[in-house]
Amino acid sequence: MTDKIVEKVAVQTEESRNQGRRAFLKGSAAVAGGVMFTKAASAADGAGFDPKKAVAPYAGKEEITEVLQDGAARKSLGFGVRKYPYGMPSPFEKEVQRRTLEWLTPDSMASITMTPLQSLHGIITPNGLHFERFHGGVPTINPDEHRLVIHGLVERPLIFTMDDLKRFPSVSRIHFVECPANGAMEWKGVQLNSVQWTHGMMSCVEYTGVRLSDLLKEAGIKPEGKWIIPEGADAAGLTRSIPIDLAMDDCFVAYAQNGEALRREQGYPIRLVVPGCEANMWVKYLRRIQVHDVPAQHREETSKYTELMPDGTAQRFSWYMEPNSVITYPSPDFKMQGPGKYYVRGLAWSGRGKVAHVDVSFDGGKNWKEAHFTSPVLDKAWTRFEVEWDWDGSEAFLMSRVTDETGYVQPPMPQMRALEGTNNVYHRTAMVTWRVHAWENGKNGGMIENVQY
Amino acid sequence: MFSTKKTLVAASVATLFAGSAMAMSGNSDSNSASGEKIDGKYAANYEQIIRDADGKYLDAKVIEAILGKDATYGRDGLESKLDPANPYSFEVDDSIDGGNHGNAQCKIPAAFVEVHDSAKANYYNDSGFEARGFGTPIAESALEKWNIVVDGDGKGLPDPSVGMTVEEGAKVYVQYCGMCHGEFGEGAKGYLPLAVEENLVTSSFFDPAPMKTVGNYWPYAVTFFDYIRRTMPFWTPNAPFIGDAGYMGITGYIMQANYIPVDAEGTELEDDTFYNSEILMKQNKFMKNQGNFFCDHRPVIHNTRCMENCADEQVGDGKGDIHNYRQARRLPDGTPQYNVPQRMHEDPPGVGHAGM
Repeated sequence: MTDKIVEKVAVQTEESRNQGRRAFLKGSAAVAGGVMFTKAASAADGAGFDPKKAVAPYAGKEEITEVLQDGAARKSLGFGVRKYPYGMPSPFEKEVQRRTLEWLTPDSMASITMTPLQSLHGIITPNGLHFERFHGGVPTINPDEHRLVIHGLVERPLIFTMDDLKRFPSVSRIHFVECPANGAMEWKGVQLNSVQWTHGMMSCVEYTGVRLSDLLKEAGIKPEGKWIIPEGADAAGLTRSIPIDLAMDDCFVAYAQNGEALRREQGYPIRLVVPGCEANMWVKYLRRIQVHDVPAQHREETSKYTELMPDGTAQRFSWYMEPNSVITYPSPDFKMQGPGKYYVRGLAWSGRGKVAHVDVSFDGGKNWKEAHFTSPVLDKAWTRFEVEWDWDGSEAFLMSRVTDETGYVQPPMPQMRALEGTNNVYHRTAMVTWRVHAWENGKNGGMIENVQY
Repeated sequence: MFSTKKTLVAASVATLFAGSAMAMSGNSDSNSASGEKIDGKYAANYEQIIRDADGKYLDAKVIEAILGKDATYGRDGLESKLDPANPYSFEVDDSIDGGNHGNAQCKIPAAFVEVHDSAKANYYNDSGFEARGFGTPIAESALEKWNIVVDGDGKGLPDPSVGMTVEEGAKVYVQYCGMCHGEFGEGAKGYLPLAVEENLVTSSFFDPAPMKTVGNYWPYAVTFFDYIRRTMPFWTPNAPFIGDAGYMGITGYIMQANYIPVDAEGTELEDDTFYNSEILMKQNKFMKNQGNFFCDHRPVIHNTRCMENCADEQVGDGKGDIHNYRQARRLPDGTPQYNVPQRMHEDPPGVGHAGM
């Protein structure tokens, strides 16, 4: 029986192959649908679709003759429902995972993993690929035993169960969350040939939660309460100081991420969301918000997350993430496939609002071409851009440059370095450059290299 | 060395000239710059101007509308950006500075008008708000167990009767901290050093990053007590067997290791000094690096969006050469490799600084 099937497939393949060849030789149309295409073209009175152009780039390409064998997927039954009560990606996607660099930190409990941006599409990061950053490992907290307390300079200290929080009006928003050290390894020069390493300390997901302003007003802020100090319930007990105006603007306490409960790595059962601001302020495992009159001046806002300048002074309370962008395809994770047309795509975002324009340069910043957006343009969220590029096979230097709605234009690296030096660790938001090696008949393997000006 | 602030100004101005064709010849100053001004420098209605421009506060025309065109305070003279009375000064105007020894605060930049509008709508002007009553009241006294915050002013510190001598503190430190941070705070196994004296000023952009430790970087001494009680020892934070007295003693030992004085005469801690919250608050005024922090003054870059034949400053290496780039370092045998300094143990682990 198997023999018969193979024989039949072989015959079909030969037939369709000949049909395609005949159609091409007649110069009338492509493959099997030739008749219909011909009609459509004549109906448009010569001004419309030209079937010859449709197939022209395929002329001279070698035909494929041996691929139409049905395999196990077609010829046997797949697995049934509930084989995986919680679904998993295809095993063929096993290389798409968060990764870390063991030399970054002395142990894995105070470390970071990066999101594989080169493998993502659109603007939503799957929960399992959301980047991780811990200062004291990941606790597994029973939500029934978890509480949120609001106290300090308030009229009435309050304690909330997780069910209490879900009774409040909810809000769902898509926001990027970015570690301010994203790109930090690249201050003194290039280190790593992957978007995952250069920009992977960030993700973008849909959060659902309760407005922080609703909770704070519930407790009644006293007039002298000017700051809030959120604190985590994990071993790090992380604290930051946030001015009350920022807390009352668009912050919220999230219990869900991409439609399901937060993952433990992202703060289960609740975390603070501070849209547009550095991720260190988005306190995870949130259990306490102390309303205070002055900032706490704690370690994460003095010793860390401050930017050392070349003259020895340091910038502090740098909350907002500046506008930034990166080309994710083609990037050093890929190989060029030969000269021709490419759709260069990537991500742009701004902690100050919406992305207004993204321009792409192929010649190291001399000339720019405006990209269009292929995703919704949302406030303080990733925006996906794309631009067409005809690569002639010569050496090229790809850069993307974002302009946000406040008018800020992303600077090139030499400008940022001249102003801020190379020791400030955080907020390295200048452009990066992908050097596309000359094709030279494939001699260079289509290499794309991370270089720095 | 140069002054960062002066450099910022010079570079900003240079950038402006580089971007020359800025369409500034218009008559945009008719709407404001000639109107009422604050300190004779910038338009009193700057918030309205930003609102009218849909929040485009970095737009060349908006900046010009607020600052005017003249070379002293106008957009060409961005030096006024660093003026205390300027709404674009994200450095000085936005700090409520408690002085060199006080609790220096920073504000949300005034130009972020949408944040302030939103806070007003959600909070200050929300007279219709009525509590929903979904939470449960709790007494402040019941929260004492959780409340471990010590702020920059020292509020939340233990009573002065709690503490131990610096020498006793050293013993606690060696027992619980030394294996990771070194017996003298010099660091070990890739964990952060606590007492290494390094100059924070670097002469070359490509020199290794200076080590930032308690002595040469931390602006507040009280932060150290709050932090070690909150998070240390790493494997069992806020340990009762160390207790407030033990944490106070460790703080004293590390302050001594960093030569932090207790007064203006530079008196240093003796081994038999009983270290408590009073001495800690004295030292809080004499942290060496305290005066060297400034509030977020971004954006320091005001580029224009050039589309073709851009100026050399914006192209390639900043001088117009697109082939003058740097590549990843190579190992001695020539193999291209990444993070060579860390792999060869020339640098400690970290993203350009020690530890995370």
